[in-house]
Amino acid sequence: MSQLALDRLHLAYENQATGASFLALSEVSFKVERGEFVTIVGPSGCGKSTLLMLIAALLKPTSGALSLNDRPISQPGSDRALVFQDFALLPWRTVLANVELGLELKGVPKDKRREAARRYVQMVGLRAFENSFPHQLSGGMRQRVGIARALSVEPEVLLMDEPFGALDAQIRQVMASELLRIWERDRKTILFVTHDIDEAVYLADRIIVMSASPGRIVKEIKVDFPRPRELAIRNTPEFTLYRKQIWDLLEEQIRNSGSWEQGDVEPAVAS
Amino acid sequence: MSSLPSQAEARLAPRAAPRAFQRALQPWMRAIVGVGGVLVFLVVWQIVGSQDLIRSDLISYPTEVLRSLYAMVASGELWANLSVTLQEFVLGFFPAIVLGVALGLAFALSRRLLYLFDPLFAALYTAPMIAFVPVLVVWFGVGLVSKAVMVFLSAFIPIVINTRTGVEEVPEAPIRALKAFGASRWQIIAKGLLPGALPAIMAGLRLAVGRSIVSLVAAEMYVSVRGIGRLVQVYSTSDRAAEIFVLVLVISSLGFLGVVLIRRIEAYVAPWSAAR
Repeated sequence: MSQLALDRLHLAYENQATGASFLALSEVSFKVERGEFVTIVGPSGCGKSTLLMLIAALLKPTSGALSLNDRPISQPGSDRALVFQDFALLPWRTVLANVELGLELKGVPKDKRREAARRYVQMVGLRAFENSFPHQLSGGMRQRVGIARALSVEPEVLLMDEPFGALDAQIRQVMASELLRIWERDRKTILFVTHDIDEAVYLADRIIVMSASPGRIVKEIKVDFPRPRELAIRNTPEFTLYRKQIWDLLEEQIRNSGSWEQGDVEPAVAS
Repeated sequence: MSSLPSQAEARLAPRAAPRAFQRALQPWMRAIVGVGGVLVFLVVWQIVGSQDLIRSDLISYPTEVLRSLYAMVASGELWANLSVTLQEFVLGFFPAIVLGVALGLAFALSRRLLYLFDPLFAALYTAPMIAFVPVLVVWFGVGLVSKAVMVFLSAFIPIVINTRTGVEEVPEAPIRALKAFGASRWQIIAKGLLPGALPAIMAGLRLAVGRSIVSLVAAEMYVSVRGIGRLVQVYSTSDRAAEIFVLVLVISSLGFLGVVLIRRIEAYVAPWSAAR
């Protein structure tokens, strides 16, 4: 039985001014097994981030069904936790208090959630910074806080929305291998959105390639590298083949959709 | 007491490039220069006043002001009036904080409420509150209550306006995180909007202290039984420059202490903004 199932999701936006309808996602169906690491790649505006918002139930699909452990997904809940590209930390809270947030909102008593937060802060290697404020940290460190915050609620599925997109190239690679190290411990299900092909191959058990306008699934690709993985696998011939295969698919999509002419059309997250 | 720009100013102003022809002073140098300026002023005033270069009953001079201060403290006159002024201030200011923050928040959350009251508040913000004194005296008498209401009115409006702007300017990202982790509407307010608006609210309080002290003293001068403003009024009709300077000193110290106190509280409740 699959843990997470998306069945023929459609999402259409109505332009308030013109009344024109924009189809963001069309016929998106896939399943994710428990403990699987799935990455989603696609050109800008293919709705890959929107897909995570649907799973987090911060957006509602126009039609189609989502279920987690065979129960329909209807509202945000701590069985799914998001990690954002812009970290989305609370600037007025210390590292520790930021990590506590999810448990606090769940009503976990103060000393229990503090203890749990300390554990996860330690896990992401920020012990020495637990009383620092976000503005005192580097981008990579901020996202570690974001990851610790998401892990602390012990979600069934971790939803990561281009989590390393705001970091520079070197830090990105280090963060990706760190993420794998943390993931190897308890192998939580992860859905990871990125537009970085190397990152997608390096991390994934399976890659979902999407097209733009409307966002559709073009192909699913199994990645057969053994785990644990070293960063050096990026230099192997097999890796190059994966990279080329995905790039060819994406290039075709980008040219066909013409989205490189129109610019990005990724919709904002509904409030 | 540092005179660094407030957070809002610091955020708005582009960071000034260091100018080659005007080197920045070390903080201690700046303090010395600042104190030096005051000293020069006092010495000049002392000479001009005590030598009667300008009629000393009009401008007085520092040592005489000090002597008057001592006399007014010793006789208990100063404290008897100051305590009344402080009471009026506290009675008006704290309700203004509570209601001002509440209404500012409501404005930020409800477009309809905002559209209804915005023009009224814009008008009241620029109106000199002192114009309401006669009405307040008719409604609340010449005593303590009418002055407390005066303080309330003067402090309330800047607090409302700053709270509203502060809440509206809380960035979207932390609110998105709160929603994603399942925060209720009240939790979004309590754990997102209010802490995010705190620096702006504190700036509003600083503004409110200044405005309300000015209107309070003016109201006391207009009509009152006791209070610092009452003393100003009494001594000004009896041509006592030294005592009036004592009172000016007391009034500005009040405002200064109020602002310092609020900055202290701000550094404690919003260290993330003070340090930035």
